[in-house]
Amino acid sequence: MANTELALMAHLMRRAGFGATRDELDDCLAQGYESTVEQLLNPERSPVMDEDLIRRYHIDQNSLMLIESSQAYWLYRIINTQRPLEEKMALFWHGLFATAYGKLNHAKAVVNQTNTFRRCGLGDFRTLLLELSRDPAMIFWLDNKDNHKDAPNENYGRELLELFSMGIGNYTEDDVKACARAFTGWTIANADYMSIRASRDSIWPHGRLDWQFEYLPEDHDDSDKTFLGHTGPFNGEDIIDIICRQPATAWFVAAKLYGYFVSDTPNEESIQFLADKFTETGGNIREVMRALLLSDFFRGDEARLARVKSPTELVAGTARLAGSYQFPEWGIVNLAMDVSFMGQEILNPPTVEGWHTGREWIDTGNLVERVNSAALEMGDLARPGVQAALSRVREAGDTLEPLEFVDVCLDVLGLYDVTDATRESLVNHAARDGALEFGKRGAVDCTDARVAEMLQLIVATREFQLA
Amino acid sequence: MTATSLLEYSHTLGFMANQGRGFNNPVDLAVNSKGIVYVLNRAGPEVGVRIAYKRITRCTPDEEYLGEFCTGGTGDGELWWPSSLAFDDEDRLFVADEALNRISIFDQDGKYLEKWGVAGTGDGQFNRPSFIAFDRDYNLLVSDSLNHRVQRYTTDGRLLAQWGEYGGGDGQFNMPWGLAVDIHGQVYVSDWRNDRIQKFDESGAFVSTFGGPGQADGELNRPAGLAVDRQGNIIVADWGNERVQVLDGEGRFAAAFRGESRDSLWAQDYFAANPDEASARRAALLEPEIESRPEYDVHRGYEWERSANVEKLFWGPTSVKLGPNGLVYVVDSLRHRIQIYRAATG
Repeated sequence: MANTELALMAHLMRRAGFGATRDELDDCLAQGYESTVEQLLNPERSPVMDEDLIRRYHIDQNSLMLIESSQAYWLYRIINTQRPLEEKMALFWHGLFATAYGKLNHAKAVVNQTNTFRRCGLGDFRTLLLELSRDPAMIFWLDNKDNHKDAPNENYGRELLELFSMGIGNYTEDDVKACARAFTGWTIANADYMSIRASRDSIWPHGRLDWQFEYLPEDHDDSDKTFLGHTGPFNGEDIIDIICRQPATAWFVAAKLYGYFVSDTPNEESIQFLADKFTETGGNIREVMRALLLSDFFRGDEARLARVKSPTELVAGTARLAGSYQFPEWGIVNLAMDVSFMGQEILNPPTVEGWHTGREWIDTGNLVERVNSAALEMGDLARPGVQAALSRVREAGDTLEPLEFVDVCLDVLGLYDVTDATRESLVNHAARDGALEFGKRGAVDCTDARVAEMLQLIVATREFQLA
Repeated sequence: MTATSLLEYSHTLGFMANQGRGFNNPVDLAVNSKGIVYVLNRAGPEVGVRIAYKRITRCTPDEEYLGEFCTGGTGDGELWWPSSLAFDDEDRLFVADEALNRISIFDQDGKYLEKWGVAGTGDGQFNRPSFIAFDRDYNLLVSDSLNHRVQRYTTDGRLLAQWGEYGGGDGQFNMPWGLAVDIHGQVYVSDWRNDRIQKFDESGAFVSTFGGPGQADGELNRPAGLAVDRQGNIIVADWGNERVQVLDGEGRFAAAFRGESRDSLWAQDYFAANPDEASARRAALLEPEIESRPEYDVHRGYEWERSANVEKLFWGPTSVKLGPNGLVYVVDSLRHRIQIYRAATG
């Protein structure tokens, strides 16, 4: 059944965003694939989300003091953004440079970090690493406020090399020590006061105080260091320059992008292609992403539904389809908690390694959560997206035989790449009640309910769990 | 009247507390005939134990805690998205709730009396009532925000009049928020998403409009609650600009205040009990210069970020109310406190 152009567009929007409604897919199709890719790669061409509404009605999402409120705020952004790749990149970098509320007790500090990811997430990798190194949440998270000239703390230096850029095996312990020394004096303002507040989760007397980066030259070790074969009185910027020139860094970033945007199964040839693009462009992430989204390996059949949706992708994507939470409504915090229950507590990843992705997103417990959450959203006929889907099904004809009925519903949800077995089971279910007849009104009109039920069944399929 | 002599900072009432002595995201207050202050804590989010943090706190202007009543919930006498408070001439407390689309009524001891109001777009229905105020006849004016109108009710919920519709013209609204009535019965409405204040006569006929979008003197950015003093000065919580502005009766700029809170008595008690934290605080630079960053303008603006860093400043001021003895109460919602000013000219 698959309309290949529509299927490709749906694939693009699932990966470079959080899915698209059928109407949005039509708009993208009219624009064309390459043009849609450019729109995604240049988020500044689309309007920024108005924040005044959410600040007015969700007062707790105005100050962003609490973790649940901040998670709900980000989920609302993801659902309503007109800059889907900007949010997707922010989530990508958040997973890679994983910084958790749990140690900081300061949700806004982590939100501030995600704002940096929005601003720099499609820019050059050097700027991103530099901003990350100056980010107060990161400085607190990996103890760089305790990294002093006379008493270095290697935590940030080590993770910068191991988890944020080159990967283990590409540097020595001496490089870690030199890296840490280069970042001495990179701290946050009022570090002692902020530390004591964080350690006791103090919200007194008047809520959180924001954190700011501070460089203390008197606490910086400006002596010579040897790092990856280079010697000099390096500061943090110099270290980042050297890191960004390493082939290992190019491969590391390429592999992470491939795993996030293309497939849970690595492919060395494709990753090398992206690594080469990284090197050619001086680490320009927008250029690497352009190459990725236009590549044959991304557009080809093998990449379709080749990733397990993260909980955020699943919940936000379903909400976008259902048209839920297009305006600030109470209840979105519960939706955000659903994401957490499924194993992805955004703004509070489990460790500095982020989340284990792919098949590890799904176990017997959270599969039930995933199916129930999606079915709940899609079964609500009051949702505008469900109503829009219903209208499209109606437009398909007054009488729809079971196969037509199923295919129309798959089409309105933009899910084209289902297996024959899945389609057959859906058709078998539809056939139990015969053809769908909109024109024929009996004592009880069940057609709307049947459509809603079919939409629920579709979001409960194996394929809907995949991106 | 001179700009600098209008208001002077007096003291701060409050402190962050999930329950008990203190506030949690207060959004409005009302003062009864005895001068007791009732503070409406919206709190949030609406999940788990936090639901119970919604409440109404009673205290005196000089920081004596008198207790609290109400809790979060959707049952009678409970609060979900409480938005505004007002006392009638019998010291009955009216509370608007913009999630439950209703007005709840309590006596001044906090005993629940009754409720009225239903959700909808028709006459006499609500879609997020954001603010309430009594007129000179003690009929209740309601800012019905998502219906873009002002309604007037008897205290038992009978609709008397309504005016306004969605738009940017004279007499039209875009999500109105604050409401105030002057001594002549004229009605002032913070026309939130039109960044202006509109003035109406006692019958609801349009008189004039003040403000307009911007950050300059006399301009407004999403104005919230407001009050009008006996001289006709308008004191408005310029919510989006994180400040309070005073405009004269013709809407001309008179003064602006960014906030200058000092520790309340309750805050001082906290630091007395936590001397190590107090010591670290004394050594800290509490009024840092905040550099602008590109993402500030894309998201919530420089002044919002500055307020997140500098504790003494207003952060999300939602309401301004007048009390006895020339006191002007500014509800500083995100800092969980009331900054109290004094009308310098009496």
